[in-house]
Amino acid sequence: MPLFEGLGSGGEKTAVVVDLGAAYTKCGFAGETGPRFIIPSEIKRAGSPEAVRVVQYNINTEELYSILKEFVHLLYFRHLLVNPRDRRVVIVESVLCPSHFRETLSRVFFKHFEVPSVLFAPSHLMSVMTLGIQSALVMDCGYTETLIYEGVPILSAWEALPMGGKAIHRLLWLMYCLVFNSLLVFVTDSIPEDVVEDIKVRTCFVSDLQRGMKIQEARFNLDGSAERPAPPPDVEYPLDGQKILHVKGAIRDSVAEMLFEQDNEEKSIATLLLDTLVKCPIDTRKVLSENLVIIGGTSMLPGFLHRLLSEIRSLVEKPKYRDALATKSFRIHSPPAKPNCTAWLGGAIFGALQDILGSRSVSRDYYSETGRIPDWCCLSTPLPDSVYEAGKMPPPLMKRAFSTEK
Amino acid sequence: MATLLQPEKVLYLVRGEKKIRVPLSQLYFCRYCSELRSLECVSHEVDSHFCPSCLENMPSAEAKLKKNRCANCFDCPCCMHTLSTRATNIPAPLPDDPTKTTMKKAYYLACGFCRWTSRDVGMADKSVASGGWQEPENPHTQRINKLIEYYQQLAQREKLERDRKKLARRRPFMPQAFSEKYGLGTRLQRQRSGAPISALYGLSLKEGEDQKEITIEPAQALDEVEPLPEDYYTRPVNLPEVTTLRQRLLQPDFQPAGASQLHPRHKHLLMKRSLRCRKCEHNLSKPEFNPTSIKFKIQLVAVQTLFTLSGLTITVLQCVLALCCVLVPSKELVLSGKDAAAEYDELAEPQGFQDDPDVVAFRKSNKIGFFIKVVPQREEGDVTVAFKLRHDFRNLAAPIRPTEEGEATSEAIWLTHHVELSLGPLAT
Repeated sequence: MPLFEGLGSGGEKTAVVVDLGAAYTKCGFAGETGPRFIIPSEIKRAGSPEAVRVVQYNINTEELYSILKEFVHLLYFRHLLVNPRDRRVVIVESVLCPSHFRETLSRVFFKHFEVPSVLFAPSHLMSVMTLGIQSALVMDCGYTETLIYEGVPILSAWEALPMGGKAIHRLLWLMYCLVFNSLLVFVTDSIPEDVVEDIKVRTCFVSDLQRGMKIQEARFNLDGSAERPAPPPDVEYPLDGQKILHVKGAIRDSVAEMLFEQDNEEKSIATLLLDTLVKCPIDTRKVLSENLVIIGGTSMLPGFLHRLLSEIRSLVEKPKYRDALATKSFRIHSPPAKPNCTAWLGGAIFGALQDILGSRSVSRDYYSETGRIPDWCCLSTPLPDSVYEAGKMPPPLMKRAFSTEK
Repeated sequence: MATLLQPEKVLYLVRGEKKIRVPLSQLYFCRYCSELRSLECVSHEVDSHFCPSCLENMPSAEAKLKKNRCANCFDCPCCMHTLSTRATNIPAPLPDDPTKTTMKKAYYLACGFCRWTSRDVGMADKSVASGGWQEPENPHTQRINKLIEYYQQLAQREKLERDRKKLARRRPFMPQAFSEKYGLGTRLQRQRSGAPISALYGLSLKEGEDQKEITIEPAQALDEVEPLPEDYYTRPVNLPEVTTLRQRLLQPDFQPAGASQLHPRHKHLLMKRSLRCRKCEHNLSKPEFNPTSIKFKIQLVAVQTLFTLSGLTITVLQCVLALCCVLVPSKELVLSGKDAAAEYDELAEPQGFQDDPDVVAFRKSNKIGFFIKVVPQREEGDVTVAFKLRHDFRNLAAPIRPTEEGEATSEAIWLTHHVELSLGPLAT
């Protein structure tokens, strides 16, 4: 029972669950209903005034190692307040994370903090665990990318689009550059990103389908015949206690349209979902389309889910998809946590299963023997023993290796 | 003055996982390994928890229960300052006599910085000064607990399967007669639920069968999602009423969008750290239990045991050339031990060391100054001298056994440190 964890005489201590996202990191303990802290994934160094992002894939190993070491140190000694040596670690991460990053992270955990074991859990799979269903289509709208992954039992189709919160920020910032030069005293190069993020969170929203379509038309229409719907009221956003930024109404609702606009390849977030469905085997499509799960911070914009559903439903009528997909019904789940914490919650639920957490994690001894962690894209690790008989046990919880379905 | 102590001028090389150069003030000295240790090559551990505002120590079991939060102090949800409890007098009817009213104290929380009060979010005033305020509970707790129980059941089954497989593998030569007894082998035997099962895991399996199987209803997907309300497009935004992202993320369970739902949370604790050498597992630094005390129970810092170099006062035997040539005295220099009392004694007599005036500049108690000649090899730039400092070190840890038997005091060990001295830019 979660209430008595940690006070009981037997059993090990609760595991630490970390979801290292590009923008925010969620950290906490297994078996709890929510993360203890959601902190920005960055560290402050004495040299530079700007914070350094932790999740960077393009820097060299030494620099990444020291950044990650500092960040994990903060996590343990400022937020979680526990000894690293005592508790297992569950890291919820995206499948598309480069191996180099994953290896550096595990080196930080094993060599520097000497944790007993580490488990890398795919974030999409963990989100499905919060629902108690067998399979689902999970879309993660995060900071750097939107990623779709099909849940248990087969890892087959996935799609990704480099469009997420970061792109919205950039667009917002650009729009300000263009519009506000004349109005205000300061030059627009000094709006820091967290201010942009705050403006996005507080003032922007996603319009519904008709309105959104009209806005898109008005934007691309060159001869000006399309009428743009009336913008929402402006907002005065105070900056630095002295200056005021006028957020024009037109910006508030058009920024999120970028996620739903179809670019040259006709790709948007909604088509992402439908393309994934097309890639899946025919008999699973109905099950998947009726079990959609949307996670990630960007999906918490007001009006996002409703708009997404309407987009999908309207796109499915288009000739491209009408013949390919027979299923027309789409249903969305609402997991028992906020969308930005759903993957973390799945990791926490998995981390609470102390019977099998040990056998599925990479232990420190294994790491010191082999020097690396098993990876789903690496063929040199042996397949795990097939533990399950067909039909005896529902969701085969996946290790980071190929799934074995008998 | 920031430059008075100039710690960055003299750097010691620490050979841990990688070589780092750190000033002596940031180093520890493990006297069991006789090596320098930096913060990177020691393991940090959480020693004790305490609340930063009421400075009350919290035992670790209680901290775990309270989720590392103080029981008495609250944080303002708007500005994260510490909340203070204020009292007002409100008229309240007497319990005995409803017609008469008397003044009763009512308490509420208020922030001294941003003027937020607990009445803004609709929290009623409490009649006790502390312990009355509760944090709201996550509405999904029950569902999540049920999910955990369900998955734990599956996990148990998987573990049993795994153990059974292990057993099967360990005894492949088991004669057929025994397989019935141990419940191994064919599907037929497993399907018979009433079959006799060995005592090894029979107990748990039997219990499992008697126990009601926990099933959960899978989550139901929704056909329709609530659309944005119509007035969203026309309603003006009251910016102070909308929470910022930072305020939302302080309450991960709820993340309210409106400031009227921001409830205060208990203050998060801080902790004191203790350091431990990775090789010999001895403590290098252990703070006091009391949160208000800045002293240490164990403090094996390098400045206490090793030589401190300031300016050019050091003893040198060998040298390693870096960017310049250094001519050093070839003799061994003697230094008396650190005597705490002698610091205050201005009129201490000279100790009777015979010093070569060419080498030694001055000598006072445990300090010595001497000359070295530095010949830079380049015309300009910063001059850095690197050399190895070799000295003997007596471990003065008090021996547990008394030394009346005439045993020699602890042996002197010769330690070598690689030191780098940056002398600054050349005058052009």
